[in-house]
Amino acid sequence: MPAAFYAVSVLFDDEILTFNRVIGVVRRRNLETKEFGVGPSERAGALRLTFFVQADEANAERLLRQLEKTHGVRHAAVFTSAEAVAGGVTLVKVNARAHERAAVLAVLSDYQASVVDEGPETVIAVGCGQDAAALVRALEPFGVLELARSGALLRRAPRSRPVLTHSPSEAVL
Amino acid sequence: MTEILTGAQIMCRELAAAGIDVIFGYPGGAIMPFYHALPEYPGLRHILVRHEQAAAHAADGYARASGRVGVAVATSGPGATNLVTGIATAHMDSSPVLAITGQVGRSMIGRDAFQETDVIGLTLPITKYSHLVQDISELADIMRTAIAVAQEGRPGPVLVDVPKDVQNQKAPYTPPASAPRPASPADAADGIAQAAKLIAAAERPLVMIGHGVILSGAYAEVRALAEKTGMPVITTLLGISAFPESHPLHLGMPGMHGEVHVNRAIQHADVIVGIGLRFDDRVTGNVAGFAPRAKIIHLELDRAEIGKNVPVAVGIVGDARELTRQLVAAVAPRRCGPWLAEIQGFARPKVESFSGDLSPEAILGAIHETTGGECTIVTDVGQHQMWVAKHYPYRRANTHITSGGLGTMGFAVPAAMGVHLARPGELVWAISGDGGFQMNMAEMATMVQEGLSVKMAIFNNGYLGMVRQWQQFFHEKRYSSTPIWSPDYVKLADAYGIPGWRVTDRGQLGDVVSRANAEPGPALVEFVIAQEANVYPMIPPGGSLSEPIEARPAGAPAA
Repeated sequence: MPAAFYAVSVLFDDEILTFNRVIGVVRRRNLETKEFGVGPSERAGALRLTFFVQADEANAERLLRQLEKTHGVRHAAVFTSAEAVAGGVTLVKVNARAHERAAVLAVLSDYQASVVDEGPETVIAVGCGQDAAALVRALEPFGVLELARSGALLRRAPRSRPVLTHSPSEAVL
Repeated sequence: MTEILTGAQIMCRELAAAGIDVIFGYPGGAIMPFYHALPEYPGLRHILVRHEQAAAHAADGYARASGRVGVAVATSGPGATNLVTGIATAHMDSSPVLAITGQVGRSMIGRDAFQETDVIGLTLPITKYSHLVQDISELADIMRTAIAVAQEGRPGPVLVDVPKDVQNQKAPYTPPASAPRPASPADAADGIAQAAKLIAAAERPLVMIGHGVILSGAYAEVRALAEKTGMPVITTLLGISAFPESHPLHLGMPGMHGEVHVNRAIQHADVIVGIGLRFDDRVTGNVAGFAPRAKIIHLELDRAEIGKNVPVAVGIVGDARELTRQLVAAVAPRRCGPWLAEIQGFARPKVESFSGDLSPEAILGAIHETTGGECTIVTDVGQHQMWVAKHYPYRRANTHITSGGLGTMGFAVPAAMGVHLARPGELVWAISGDGGFQMNMAEMATMVQEGLSVKMAIFNNGYLGMVRQWQQFFHEKRYSSTPIWSPDYVKLADAYGIPGWRVTDRGQLGDVVSRANAEPGPALVEFVIAQEANVYPMIPPGGSLSEPIEARPAGAPAA
């Protein structure tokens, strides 16, 4: 089974040691990973971590099982990359001198990015969603000065189910 | 009832409340408040080891022999790092060990203080749970969680790191009231029914059992399963002694050094019932070639083990004893006569490991006979470990203790101290090679100071024998750095005040071993065995179970 990128979502106790354990399970394999995103979840006291990992299916499953038994992990699920829609937040500071400012604002508007701060020669904007990379590409001709992006914020593609998941009632057969 | 106690006192109270009566450790700067409090709790016997690694192995041996938590205590920095090998050993073999480390004071953490080490970071991948205590208000809870997690589900090591100033802090303390959290019973009916069907339809079924059978005490259930169905039973290295060696349905150990008929039985089986084992690579050889005809039924407490190494037809998560009990109830009685006869046909005539006078089999026979089969054998790692696994006729459950998963040389001598304390009044033999013995032989001083009656056997062949064997088979006999010099062990024992003997021929065996058994305290026997004895058969690393290297007749060139 060839390696592919899987999307992983882990819900765990909001505690740095648990976070460290979760990352350790991934780190131990030294597989290629990208787009780590972590932050508060809908549940009090629990963080959600999402990321992509390149693995074959068997390794992805072993990773999931070991995440599930990690102390402090409440839930873990693995999706194929086709079954996950990755979003994210991009904070970008771009040159916007007087003669180009209208063009910059037009690009930001095209990508539904919001201006959050304006200087005499720069603009800081926030963009959301899958188009972050395209937004940055479109701004590059003006000069991107600083860029900060969140990791992947995943949602399940419509009508998809995780390829690998586990709930306590599920029998392993 | 609430009292005001120091952190160190709370640590002691929590240990006592958990039923712990022995701890192994070594004092030092950052753990001194704990040692200051310790004499106030005479129910906690402290064993002063000579190196913290030995404390961790001794705690591990104690845990495996008693089924209770073993405790190892060390100071920060080098004390803590010296525990790491022992914690990793316990982690691989699912042993409930609580490591307690002192840490530098909170105001010094992160400043590279004297003897400061991030022991939590060092041990994260080899502990089930660990915590750096930030304040005395959370200390009791963390101790309780650690002790509970070590024993819950699949057991394993945990670590609590306590800054020195937290040990000295004072706070109100309320003793624990609640009992340990009960495990939820497995809902396994569908899987069990499916497994029973597979067993009923099988022509060549067999049972493979591992450490999980010992950890859950599923001895009677496994025996009932075998006897109701006639299925032969294979015991992995850590499953040895969970099923009587003399039972007609017992086949032996599988894998890299398994007997030919055991591995061929696996290769011919159409159903394998695996109970409380993890299909380790030393068991399976090349996974792609493992049990090619078999549907595997896996009864296992740790869900992450099911399907990890081999694909399974039926995986059932739960306690080995409970699941096996359910399976016994569900299976139809049957016999496996033709299959057992087929397996007998695979067997090779028994040959001793080598033609010399003092064979490992003869030595083990003497230990077995002189102790009436009642002692616990703790082995180290290497050739002697395999000889014991293959040839010692275990009769009692959980009397074989060894470092399996991690393969830690130096394990036997300190672990045997823990076994002795868990089973006072019983004989304990620590069997090591001349390599492994020299790793932790300083613990002889611990035995003398603490009055620990451990019988030490050294299989001395002048080599790191298992590595030499690999060099012989796979590295053109280039014996690179495997010849190993030994001191005069009898004189060495004498320097510690320990009676010692050197045995060079078979005629001395019974007498010397009996005298060692009769010593009230520790005793040492060096067995001088042939230099180039090998463990046969052997599956080459990465090879299939179908392709063993077998012993050659004496005088023939080695494989």
